[in-house]
Amino acid sequence: MHATVRAALRSIVGPGHYRETDGELVPYSRDATPLFSARPDAVVFPADTSEVAAVLELATRHAVPVVPRGAGSNLCAATVASQGGVILVLTRLNRLIEIAPEELLARVQPGLTSAALATAASHENLLWAPDPGSRTVATIGGTIATNAGGLRGLKYGVTRDYVLGLEAVLPTGEVIRTGGRLNKDVAGYDLSRLLTGSEGTLAVITEATLALRPAPASAGTGVAYFPDLAAAGRAVTAIIAAGILPATLEFLDRSCVRAVEDFARLGLRTDAGALLLFGDDGEPGAVARALTRMGEICTAHHALDVTTAAHIAQAEALLAARRCALPALSRLGDLTILEDATVPRPRIAEMVDRIGAIAVRHGVEIATFGHAGDGNLHPTCVVKSRDDHDGIARAERAFADIFAAAIELGGTITGEHGVGAAKLSHLSAQLGEDQLALLRRLKTAFDPAGILNPGKLGS
Amino acid sequence: MTDRSGRRPVPGPVFDPDQLSRCISCGFCLPACPTYAETGDEASSPRGRINLMRALQEGDLQPDDPTLQEQASQCLGCRACEPVCPAGVEYGQLLEQWRDHQWRGRHMPTVARALMWLAGLRPLFVLLGGLRGAASGSRPSGAAPAVPPDATGSLMLGCFERVLFPRVSRAAAALVPELRLTADQGCCGALHAHNGGTAKGEQLALRLGEDLPGTIVTTSGGCAAHLASVLGPDRVRELSDHLAARKHPDGTPGELRIDGRRARVALQDSCHLRNGLGVSAPPRELIGRIADHVELPSAGTCCGAAGTYSLLRPRESRRILAAKLDEIEAAGVDIVVAVNPGCLRQLRTGLRRKRSPVRAVHLAELLLMAERNVPPAA
Repeated sequence: MHATVRAALRSIVGPGHYRETDGELVPYSRDATPLFSARPDAVVFPADTSEVAAVLELATRHAVPVVPRGAGSNLCAATVASQGGVILVLTRLNRLIEIAPEELLARVQPGLTSAALATAASHENLLWAPDPGSRTVATIGGTIATNAGGLRGLKYGVTRDYVLGLEAVLPTGEVIRTGGRLNKDVAGYDLSRLLTGSEGTLAVITEATLALRPAPASAGTGVAYFPDLAAAGRAVTAIIAAGILPATLEFLDRSCVRAVEDFARLGLRTDAGALLLFGDDGEPGAVARALTRMGEICTAHHALDVTTAAHIAQAEALLAARRCALPALSRLGDLTILEDATVPRPRIAEMVDRIGAIAVRHGVEIATFGHAGDGNLHPTCVVKSRDDHDGIARAERAFADIFAAAIELGGTITGEHGVGAAKLSHLSAQLGEDQLALLRRLKTAFDPAGILNPGKLGS
Repeated sequence: MTDRSGRRPVPGPVFDPDQLSRCISCGFCLPACPTYAETGDEASSPRGRINLMRALQEGDLQPDDPTLQEQASQCLGCRACEPVCPAGVEYGQLLEQWRDHQWRGRHMPTVARALMWLAGLRPLFVLLGGLRGAASGSRPSGAAPAVPPDATGSLMLGCFERVLFPRVSRAAAALVPELRLTADQGCCGALHAHNGGTAKGEQLALRLGEDLPGTIVTTSGGCAAHLASVLGPDRVRELSDHLAARKHPDGTPGELRIDGRRARVALQDSCHLRNGLGVSAPPRELIGRIADHVELPSAGTCCGAAGTYSLLRPRESRRILAAKLDEIEAAGVDIVVAVNPGCLRQLRTGLRRKRSPVRAVHLAELLLMAERNVPPAA
């Protein structure tokens, strides 16, 4: 990167918010995605929208790649500077601008964490529904940019269902405002939706207006153990078919339960083949009825054991433990590669069986957990050693088969983690060439110089 | 590995590869890290530092890279990242390995070197022995150890505590008459292990393990965690853990009263006790037995003492402390209790400088005050 560009960047954000030495850049060389890393040329921490705009305008003029980044907790290498350039860190824009209870909305800057917004909303007796596993770390900007899902998807939907409006900076430096404070607003293309999940390839989000819900009066959680994950999957299909729409339907196979129990020490059974966490929220009577009904369906579908959490603290502990499943799996080996295949709900047991067969075929160890109610599976390949290149290659072949199986069952290669650099090569199988070409044309309309997060979506 | 000057890298791992590969960079540690909260820079987070360690291990960064030097020193070493890490990364161990490499030779901070030299002067600490005699009011017994006939363990008093806070040592000695008290104790090596001298730190801990028979009970959370990491957790107990588990000899403990009411007392956790050994309930329980325990919102986060940190990086240390002191004053407590001499020094100095009416005492002093029905001196 040219010295004049460096000097200009330093002067835009101020010397205290500019990094360029080798040691300073190393921590920004990767995110939470294994096997992907690339050293950027510089890191900047802008203070506000106008500094973001100045950085982008400069980058377009000099054709320098810019990669927007929140907490760097994404799982698709969306914030790795694979073509070098500038990492644009948005964590200084971390203000909660307002919560408007009478409009059921919040206005926030992108660097605020998802958990911080949820806590602030709860003080107003409101709920910020999107609930990714990384909520304590993940920023709202990243949550929107990856259209994050999480543990409440079945009943509450995902991030896109809560984005009312955005302020965003185009790669050419113009600031746009999409949507607003209204639920009903059909003036123009729905750019809020287009930017949601665009993984920092179209514009940089600098403010968001987000819908909140009234906080549920109570919540309850139950645990059911099954002989295997497919049996748990059949119970999940039966629960939804019975007309129940619960807040939580999460499952974990035995390897995952053992890893989670090793960390959280909740007294989970580690001898069963699978655990299903089911829960609901709402009026106490309705919650109790839903829990009883779900417990009965589990028992009818060969559950080994069904219990319900007596109080909300215990329910929260169970959910917190579930959120830790992925990092806890790191206890099993040197390298854990996670995937995100998603299928229509009635096919979930079938998909579980296919994953099992694929693991055997390629001789790899796969532990699976996921948002069963959404058909969203996280098969995770555990490789004992980082130096086991053959093991890593076999894991990659297994995942290619898993993607193919998901598409064949009417599903997707990624339900919530995103495409990023990690899954770009599989995208054509999902979308087809015509749609990929349209994505590229959209990308060019927003980003004529191709500077924003190159090598990702739209490339 | 480096040569003695610490400048020229020669091949060889700096870190235990298994410990280093445990981290999957999920970032769950970020909200727990006090230095990341201060700077907002990934480099000063546990995940960022582990990425720096990896770059050092793999030769992607020169060993004298300024960020490596700065971050090895800026980290408090409070290990708040460990209990929140689902992957079970032993960050404290990695930090010790890092400093062992980074601070070798001329890179070791002078203050740390001087303290280690001081801690090696066993005669100084022998002279200051005889604590049990002093505590019971009789003539100091010099180097003669007091050994109860049925002693099941040994009381170990932090070496700097004996010099800086002899009252704490005397109080501890008086509280646990059932433990053997050896006058010539030496240093446990925690100071060395935390400041780039892992081999020496381990050697000192092993020697102490041989010198002190039975379970070693210590008044210092930092010493306890270090000893446990070398000798195994079964050999070591921190004082509050020992006292809470002990059956109270005379049934009802005393009550600490100030101005005619039950005293209001807060606890500042010792980071290594809480995060390293997982001990946080016992000191609270002991306080609750004799006074009204008030939980500080940030009781579990570092006060900025962090071993030698307050001496090596006084500005940052004071900045971290300032918020803590405001919180203590806002809590309306009479006393704030520490369970580690470094925290005690930090809190006491800070409160005095602020002319605060709140007093900082070690848990041993507090318990003895209650037992003897002596309110704290103004």
